[in-house]
Amino acid sequence: MEAADLSHHTSRRFNEDLERVRSKVLAMGGLVEEQLAGALNALIDGDSQLGQAIAKKDYQVNGMEVSIDEECSRILATRAPAAGDLRMIVATIKTITDLERIGDECEKIALIAARLANDERPADHYREVKHLGRITRTMVHQALDAFARLDAELAITTARSDRVVDEEYEAIQRQSITFMMEDPRSIRRALDIMWVVRAMERIGDHAKNVCEYVIYMVHGKDVRHTSLERVEQEIRSRNARP
Amino acid sequence: MSLSLWWWLAARVSAALVVGFLAGLPFGYPAIGVAVVAVAVLVRMLYLLRSTQRWLRGFNNAAPPDAGGAWGELIGLVARLQRRKQYHKRRLMRLLRELRRSTAAIPDGVVVLNPQGEILWFNRMAARLLHLRARTDVGLRIENLVRQPEFIRYMRSGEYTLPVVVSATIDKDLFLQIHLVPYGDGQSLMLVRDVTRAQRLEAMRKDFVANASHELRSPLTVIAGYLESLGQDPSLDPALAGPVAEMRRQSTRMTSIIEDLLSLSRLEAGDGAAERTPIDVVGLIELLHRDLGARLAQGTRVQVDITSTVRLLGDEAQIHSAFANLVDNAAKYTPQGGVITLRWSSDATGALFSVQDTGIGIGPEHIPRLTERFYRVDPGRSRATGGSGLGLAIVKHVLQRHGATLEITSSEGHGSTFSCHFPIDRLVTESREA
Repeated sequence: MEAADLSHHTSRRFNEDLERVRSKVLAMGGLVEEQLAGALNALIDGDSQLGQAIAKKDYQVNGMEVSIDEECSRILATRAPAAGDLRMIVATIKTITDLERIGDECEKIALIAARLANDERPADHYREVKHLGRITRTMVHQALDAFARLDAELAITTARSDRVVDEEYEAIQRQSITFMMEDPRSIRRALDIMWVVRAMERIGDHAKNVCEYVIYMVHGKDVRHTSLERVEQEIRSRNARP
Repeated sequence: MSLSLWWWLAARVSAALVVGFLAGLPFGYPAIGVAVVAVAVLVRMLYLLRSTQRWLRGFNNAAPPDAGGAWGELIGLVARLQRRKQYHKRRLMRLLRELRRSTAAIPDGVVVLNPQGEILWFNRMAARLLHLRARTDVGLRIENLVRQPEFIRYMRSGEYTLPVVVSATIDKDLFLQIHLVPYGDGQSLMLVRDVTRAQRLEAMRKDFVANASHELRSPLTVIAGYLESLGQDPSLDPALAGPVAEMRRQSTRMTSIIEDLLSLSRLEAGDGAAERTPIDVVGLIELLHRDLGARLAQGTRVQVDITSTVRLLGDEAQIHSAFANLVDNAAKYTPQGGVITLRWSSDATGALFSVQDTGIGIGPEHIPRLTERFYRVDPGRSRATGGSGLGLAIVKHVLQRHGATLEITSSEGHGSTFSCHFPIDRLVTESREA
């Protein structure tokens, strides 16, 4: 299955339906990206108003999930898509679930950010958190780019960077434990920060899931719970064959 | 091909046939001689046809077949046509390349979109600013790749007179200004510009105004306090009474300017639409009417004309300050014996609050600039009346945040009308409210 095949279809209306769903998914993705950026900015700049505003906006993400879900069901019922189109619909239904969860994690981060804004800022100005935040944001962005371009290569490289997120998460965890042992008064804040980085680690996992759906959509191969090396090998060998 | 060539061809073929006939005559089979010659002519024609076809198809860069007469002419004509076409093609290609090169060199990002919003072409700067990839992204929808909600809303609004500013997704410190320019058959040109510097300057300016006014407020309070007790001190030298009174007036004015600056910068800082609390406009107008009655010169009348009881969904403090500013202006510029009219009405399209006065009026050349900060129609006069010069700027900002518009009509010497039009989605009827 070549990527370009997905955009050609005998029925123009059907094609438009699919394109509309894809655009809606990506619009939802754009909103989630903005939510994530806003939540992280609220935390790092200590802006409690922004944090509250972001948490309040999560309902928009949920609303988009419901509307895309309905549209997908309608297409399944009325058009009975097959092959690549069917895979696209299935992947879409799964993708929006993960995007919605990313939205929930953003809400969580925003609420904690709003609470932490009233406290004293840590000495390191959340340097580690900022770094992890940049990695997760890039991951979400690239996962959505891969979805837009049907780019399995990008999906694989992005899925691989989930490992970096996990490592960073571990590092911050260790660091927080040191802080807590040094100064018990910082335990409350350190615990809150743990929730934030935990949320980011989950966001990385969800972004990785989206990447896996992209691979499934393009190559028709379910790669969940398989090691990335094997996935890559298989795809390479399939592409090598004429 | 000239006619004589055809004759020449016919003559040659018939001469060959005659030769065949004559050659066959001694053997007693002239018909066979004619047939042999006819077949030979046919074979030659077929051969020429084949090599012409091969040449036209461009097999192995075959040269044009070498043939004289009618065939030669035909082939020559085709060759000339082809050369001319190639020449034009080369010229067009060169022109196109120049054009592409010049658009590619534009320091702004340029993306060409078809009516469905799919990318047809983009230059290098657009690729850099929007992270587009030259090989794969042609044919994809732009909103799938530039996913900022702000931009998607702009794209779908169909209203492209103004550009939109979005922050780049990954790098949060980068701001892009995007402007869609429709042209031709529903195609559009998307211009992308890096406005990070301008955006930062604008933020700095706002911060500066907010901080400076805030910092000025506390020393001013101290000065005003001492001036007040000084003014009431009976042991004050009578010669100083006048200057102290003037200082008190000026410090009051300065306070009001700073208050206005602060509320303006607060209005600017809060982005997006105002909140939607139902406001009792009728009650608000009555309040303004009472305040106004207390300070108006003798003989000036105030009329209140309320024909609607709809409530406005908005921020009450902001709406109050906007309406109070309009009423204030009317009071300032209406001479003794004038009439001020406050109106509140609504219809199917929205609601209207207006303040009409019979004052000195405003010249038409000033009206478009009235809402600029510190704009003075007549510098001398405005200082005397003691305004801050920010009132109408505040009104404009408040109305903007409520989706409303300000309309000013005036004729010099007869008075002015300031009208605020509120859209229907900002209104709620009392019954539904209760």
